[in-house]
Amino acid sequence: MKFANKFSRSTFLRAGVAALALAGLTGIAGTAKADTVTLVESGSSLLYPLFNLWVPDFTAANSSIRITTTSTGSGAGIAQAIKGLIQIGASDAYVSDAMSAKHPNILSIPLAISAQTINYNLPGMTGKNLHLSGPILAGIFMGKITKWDDPAIAAANPGVTLPDHTIIPIHRLDGSGDTFIFSQYLSASTPAWKSALGYSTAISWPAIAGEIGAKGNAGMLAAAAANPYSVTYIGISYAAKVAAAGLGTAALKDAAGEYVLPTPTTIGNAANSVVTDTPPDERISMIFADGPMAYPIVNYEYAVVSTSQPNGDVATALQTFLNWAITTGNSPQYLDKVHFLPLPSAIQILSKTQIAKIQ
Amino acid sequence: MKIRPFRLALLALSLLIPAALAAVVLFLLIYAGPALGFNGFGFISRITWNLGDLYSDPVTTRGVLVPPGASYGILVFVVGTLLSSGIAILIAVPLSVGAAIFLSEIVPPRVRPVLSMLVELVAVVPSVVFGLWGIAVLVPFIGNILGPALSDTLGFIPIFAGGNSGGGYGLLAAAVVLALMITPIIATTLLDALMQVPKENRESAFALGATHFEVVSKAMMPMVRTTLIGGIVLALGRALGETMAVLMVSGGGLNILPSSLFSPISTIASFIVSQLDSAEGDPTNMAVRSLAEIALVLFIITLITNAGAKLLTSGLPHVHLRSKKH
Repeated sequence: MKFANKFSRSTFLRAGVAALALAGLTGIAGTAKADTVTLVESGSSLLYPLFNLWVPDFTAANSSIRITTTSTGSGAGIAQAIKGLIQIGASDAYVSDAMSAKHPNILSIPLAISAQTINYNLPGMTGKNLHLSGPILAGIFMGKITKWDDPAIAAANPGVTLPDHTIIPIHRLDGSGDTFIFSQYLSASTPAWKSALGYSTAISWPAIAGEIGAKGNAGMLAAAAANPYSVTYIGISYAAKVAAAGLGTAALKDAAGEYVLPTPTTIGNAANSVVTDTPPDERISMIFADGPMAYPIVNYEYAVVSTSQPNGDVATALQTFLNWAITTGNSPQYLDKVHFLPLPSAIQILSKTQIAKIQ
Repeated sequence: MKIRPFRLALLALSLLIPAALAAVVLFLLIYAGPALGFNGFGFISRITWNLGDLYSDPVTTRGVLVPPGASYGILVFVVGTLLSSGIAILIAVPLSVGAAIFLSEIVPPRVRPVLSMLVELVAVVPSVVFGLWGIAVLVPFIGNILGPALSDTLGFIPIFAGGNSGGGYGLLAAAVVLALMITPIIATTLLDALMQVPKENRESAFALGATHFEVVSKAMMPMVRTTLIGGIVLALGRALGETMAVLMVSGGGLNILPSSLFSPISTIASFIVSQLDSAEGDPTNMAVRSLAEIALVLFIITLITNAGAKLLTSGLPHVHLRSKKH
């Protein structure tokens, strides 16, 4: 029993440290004195690297505002922002209609534009861009297309010799904004996927022999690199690491029927095509956007914030930061490092209007 | 009446821990309440786990507002938890018995503290480190070498089939990682007990002409059997609740029961972690409540295990007496 004591002691110690940290956080957020205001950001792991680039520069220029950032996941970011535990919930997905109706004071404000790549590990195909489409990917992830030389894949890739090998689909096993936009692309392009599985940050993945569930974008990358004949979806901020691992990147079939690669131009085309349709609350999907040469898996990265903040100082600080993020923060010196794109000017105006509602 | 501040303070402190336990159970019961009603007993026997469409308007199903298509069944996770922990125990017990006997019998007394400290050190390695080792070393080894080899030679036995199609993530990887984590728990518990076997027993067995193997197997092991069982159950408790390392190597099996050592699985604890973020996006909150219900199931399983350990180890003096009679 000596060991049992040792374990429980260390557990208590850990719990104690966590409690202290928590107390510290709330303490700082609570003492919103006139001189320094602390904002707490939490949520999307895809946005987290960008916040880490933003915060030092922003706080250097605004010494009265402190910002703490944590990476917890989009779902947690939204939930904590709604509960008022944090000021900024970072999310890859906008707040759903049902959640919006329940909490009308919660805004979804786009901060930047991100995209997702479909990557595969096919020996002998390095440097070639396979053509894949929503229905093909839906077939693979539903277990209906199981071989790389399946007629559907062959038809999309004339002249390419495909291996007679079983496909290993890799999906996220943790809740993820990447799963959300990937399944949104499949839902928008494939009715069978839409009716059976729909879109969500966690899909009830159909069981497929040999499939792999991996944790986080880093886990997806590691699993794809270690498993020849696998296919997976990875956030575009990992593009450099994906290339270094020797994975292929697919050209995806867009709404116009062309196969397009994820480049700043094609991602920008997708964003521009929905600019005029974006409603004032900016909750809109850019997935499978209409328009020529528009990459199909593109999304806004959102700050989920409440219009009613605890006091005027916090509200002002929040407005200052968000306005900075969508203007100065949208410059290439920040976005290029994580392969994001800036907001189109029309969207910037809509975001500013929303930011002005924070009190 | 005389007030005894020292006594009262101690009483309050000693009540704090059971009170915290009771508070956790009470919280889980109250929080999971609506889920208990919605899921019914099928919760444990259903295979499909589906959060439903969190982005559509909730619908009323069985009198409760839930996302359309929501269905919560956890049989896959219960089976994954029990299988991975069970196989881990099967791997860990021979390893730790061997290690403990080696440390108590073969190693010179001067080196023993160093080696036993090394074994104890393994027990305090954070689980995420085991997970990383699992991803970097174990999973590729199982996927590229062990899995195909086992499937090619023993593939006609169902549990060894399918080793050449997956990437090494799955039941076996989870079990091996768990086995490594719990081996030091069993080994050090057993070593402590072996060191406490009276010198007389050991020496009289030698005097009777027993070989070293017979001394260990006939004179010493029977005396520490209950401690061994206690250590195993303690280790089982840790394996059942292990989260991060399992999440990293288990492959996250969903909606299908494992059919072989290479099937992807999910355990209860790792599944709660992987789903919580998405569940928080459920406007009806039923997903989080169902996760609380899973936590309740895990709590009951570990409670049974630990109660079993208490029952078995409380028989310790009794077994000592009996083994002395022999």
